[in-house]
Amino acid sequence: MSSISNTRVPLIDPAAQSLEDKRANEYGPLTSKEYLHETSSQQGEPLQEPIADTPPYYVVVITYLNYLILIILGHVHDFLGLTFQKDRHQDIMEKDGLAPWFSKFESFYVRRLKLRIDDCFSRPTTGVPGRFISCIDRISHDLNSYYTYPGTATMCLNLSSYNYLGFAQSEGPCTTAALESVDKYGVCAGGPRTQLGTSDLHLETEKLVARFVGKEDAMIFSQGYGSNANFFNSILDPKCLVISDELNHTSIRTGVRLSGATVKAFKHNNMENLEKLIKEQIVSGQPKTHRPWKKIMICVEGLYSMEGTMCHLPKLVELKNKYKCYLFVDEAHSIGAIGARGRGVCDYFNMSPSNIDIMMGTFTKSFGAAGGYIAADKNIVDRLRCDLTTTNYSESVPPPVLAQTCTSLRIIAGDLNPGEGLERLQRITFNSRYLRLALRRLGFIVYGVADSPVVPMLLYAPSKMPAFSRMMLQRKIAVVVVAYPATPLIESRVRFCISSALTKEDIDYLLRHVNEVGEKLFLKVSTGKSSVSRNGKPHNWDIDEVIRLTPADCKDDKYFKE
Amino acid sequence: MQPPAVLPTSIVVPDFILRTSSYVWYYCQNFVNAIPGSHYVVDYVKRSHQHDPYRTMVEIFLIIYGIVYFLRKPRKQGFQAGPKLTDRETDALLDEWQPEPVTQSSSKVEWRTEKIPVVLTSSSKTYIDLSRNNGAELYENVLNCCSNNFLQITSEPDVLQVAKNSIHKCGVGACGPAGFYGNLDVHTHLEYDLARFFNTENAVLYGQDFCIATSVIPAFTKRGDVIVADDRCSVSIQNALQLSRSTVYYYDHNDMDALEDLLQQLQERELKDKLPALPRKFIVTEGLFHNLGDIPPLPKLVELKNKYKFRLLVDETFSLGVLGSTGRGITEHFNLDRQSSVDITIGSLATALGSSGGFVLGDSVMSLHQRIGSHAYTFSASLPSFTVTVGSEVLRRLEKDNSAVQRLRQLSNRMHHFFREDKTLKEIVEVTSDNDSSVLHLRLTEDLRIKKFNYTEESFYKEISVMHSKYLTDKHIDYYETEEKFLQEIVDYSLKEFNVLISRNTFVLKHETLPIIPSLKVCCGSKMSDQELLRACESVKKAVVYIVTQEN
Repeated sequence: MSSISNTRVPLIDPAAQSLEDKRANEYGPLTSKEYLHETSSQQGEPLQEPIADTPPYYVVVITYLNYLILIILGHVHDFLGLTFQKDRHQDIMEKDGLAPWFSKFESFYVRRLKLRIDDCFSRPTTGVPGRFISCIDRISHDLNSYYTYPGTATMCLNLSSYNYLGFAQSEGPCTTAALESVDKYGVCAGGPRTQLGTSDLHLETEKLVARFVGKEDAMIFSQGYGSNANFFNSILDPKCLVISDELNHTSIRTGVRLSGATVKAFKHNNMENLEKLIKEQIVSGQPKTHRPWKKIMICVEGLYSMEGTMCHLPKLVELKNKYKCYLFVDEAHSIGAIGARGRGVCDYFNMSPSNIDIMMGTFTKSFGAAGGYIAADKNIVDRLRCDLTTTNYSESVPPPVLAQTCTSLRIIAGDLNPGEGLERLQRITFNSRYLRLALRRLGFIVYGVADSPVVPMLLYAPSKMPAFSRMMLQRKIAVVVVAYPATPLIESRVRFCISSALTKEDIDYLLRHVNEVGEKLFLKVSTGKSSVSRNGKPHNWDIDEVIRLTPADCKDDKYFKE
Repeated sequence: MQPPAVLPTSIVVPDFILRTSSYVWYYCQNFVNAIPGSHYVVDYVKRSHQHDPYRTMVEIFLIIYGIVYFLRKPRKQGFQAGPKLTDRETDALLDEWQPEPVTQSSSKVEWRTEKIPVVLTSSSKTYIDLSRNNGAELYENVLNCCSNNFLQITSEPDVLQVAKNSIHKCGVGACGPAGFYGNLDVHTHLEYDLARFFNTENAVLYGQDFCIATSVIPAFTKRGDVIVADDRCSVSIQNALQLSRSTVYYYDHNDMDALEDLLQQLQERELKDKLPALPRKFIVTEGLFHNLGDIPPLPKLVELKNKYKFRLLVDETFSLGVLGSTGRGITEHFNLDRQSSVDITIGSLATALGSSGGFVLGDSVMSLHQRIGSHAYTFSASLPSFTVTVGSEVLRRLEKDNSAVQRLRQLSNRMHHFFREDKTLKEIVEVTSDNDSSVLHLRLTEDLRIKKFNYTEESFYKEISVMHSKYLTDKHIDYYETEEKFLQEIVDYSLKEFNVLISRNTFVLKHETLPIIPSLKVCCGSKMSDQELLRACESVKKAVVYIVTQEN
């Protein structure tokens, strides 16, 4: 180990370990059959509103105060810096007659607020982002303006990667398939899909995806963001309307903006608001001309990655049919992770995929691969193959990624290693429910529906974000903290991404540390309505009791209701 | 206690009102006095009332108006309350509305799907097997003149071994965006390698080459900024300009005098306008044009951008690894230093470098802001780790030995020479690409196009522009479609008769907002032998001549 510090990220080879250890570190072995749970389908029933807990007023006031202080300090800092330290602020000043890349105002948030906690983001890692993730150690200098690297890495429990079903492995059938595909097809796909970028592996994957999601046909792309961002301009134009959930992902917004279609947003998951909006829009038509809209498309996500909430599919389908709109569902986070058979929201609500016009999803999350797909009826996909910019101008998916996708899809569907896919699905459901209920019982405010593998825990004050993230890293747990603009201003949060690779004992370890840190940081601000009392117990439970009782309780839906 | 008298006794007011109001006044006064510092305010009001009693009245009126204004229901801006509809009328309207289908029927464009080659082997190799039309046609050992993997370094077994080692070490997917534990050490190292290889301060990796321009340009532009772009840019840049919110001007393709005139005009206008802040100004062009294959006069561009204080963005998707004696792109081609001449370079790992993904080169400040403000970087998962390891390996090999680049240039020159010098071909086709381009762009001559399909580039562009301004999305133009099919016949003939695979330039009319003309592309790869290249050229020539004369 070198003691010389370096400002460049070092290349670190994973520590030598036996094959068994490696396997266990990437995908924790199941410790007991108790720790499995099959999602019960909603049978087309609407979803119970997840418990919305609100913090006491003092928390809200403190959070606003916290921002106020940060902003005032930032402005003082800017004033002093621009007066006395001009050489350190070259980036926001005019230089040789060129405007700065970013104006002072535009970059204020980044320079004065985000920079303070920059050490919690973009941590370099090495190796497989499986059950454990190796974070490369770094030392921050001069308020995060640069880092030095001592050349070591720390194994942390991974609650940060979108590795829902634990397919991020460097060993096993998926990896074998990926390696074989390198031999047969190489590592690069040669060009756009319409020129030389299509191989039989591409077609096979498309067929598999279509069958998996239950649509007639599907298309695959090399990047999830790109699938959305370059999709809408092929089907929508300025005479069309998009009705979009206010929390939709940026890729959808970019795509819709590119199409030129008018966008109206409805309040997150608020179906009355949506219905009112649709009616209003059909009646009034296009702005100015008042001609009727050519198409109206409702865009929602299956599982919202920051909230852990799910779309109200039954109601959406009802509205879509009633008002003849089209429905686009982005299943980036839900495909593979939600539903008893892992087939996303349709599976969860037990509804036919034919109710959704266009289903989009990614392979980055549950499948341990990369890229995205769009699945729809055959006539739609046939036309899109000729119309999309991605298929005609952009690179195609590299073969090893396809092999990984194909194999993991087959495992989930049960065609390969029967039983393994099911176990993965049941483990993630159990893990998600266990962590969510346990955190609620400990007195934290946690958002989201019971089965969602995204478990956002609210921190509120922005200064608690770096504190939480750093303290967790000290305890060898890698977590993701998110704040404004990804969330509402005061609702800074930590987002635990659950994986099938975690064992129940891993979650116990996590709970003990979150409990300890939470107490130190005064994070237990729940009103108690979300942790249904058991035998008249008060709501802030003791950690040992939570760990003892929750594994059994979390399988029961009644504990997730108010 | 007697309340203080506030009204003169001459006015007759019922006693209880007088009494109550006096008390209220009295307590109010007491209350105001109790607030520390209130006497300043009271004194001020008194004095101002003394100076000008009307002012007090105006101020009171203003305060009341303010309160009313704030309490009023907010009215939507620009909202015209139309006639109120009854429920029955609303229902009738809802019932009446019929949407168009999600997509138009595919019958008119179906033929394109049938012609897509499905590769059955590695597409980076010089010889490939392929099938078409759902396996109805099968071709073996086809000479591959269609691949974008020009240098073919990633078809070498030991490079593939690097990819396999990486999969062994890190798995396939990165499972997260760069900001949240998605970037491995190898990602950062490829960024170092790219910056070193192309001699810039920094590099930023992206997941897909096509998304980069549409993400980088809007990240740095806002309303009021100015972009001057070449009018033959590819769709990726067209989309980016649409998303940029800035004022966009186009200059004639590679015409530096036109550009200078435009910049001059803009400068004069800017001086006249006296803007509150300096706008950001960009010149946008491509290193090797996607649609035409030619090269912009970079030295002149750099001179102009320095003179008029613009920044220069060059999309080098097709030129990195191809142009310049060691493959360092258009700057090396013109013997310029990249760091000082080009501000933003967009590059692709999926073309000459033969991996997957893309990157942006530039200075550190610009790179840092991209990592926060560029959507395709922040909101998208990192590249799979094997693609970046392969990228680093390719760069390492190029640094050691650039014979692949040299060989590619040799072949490109030879290929262009063949098509440019051939007498029979001169009559029917024209070559638009530069001799150094590894892609040969071939289109019918203007005369032949008029004769056969009866249209010119201008008339065609006019027609698309009209359709565009009417927001027609199903841009179907018969003569364009016929010419596309005609070119496809050439492709088919060369495949069937000579086992040589070339391709049309697959434009989507719907998305093109700038002038285009159907064309063919013939690619060469550095692993081809001279004979193979000659065979390819001869075959394409025969195919072109056969189809053109046969139709006459």
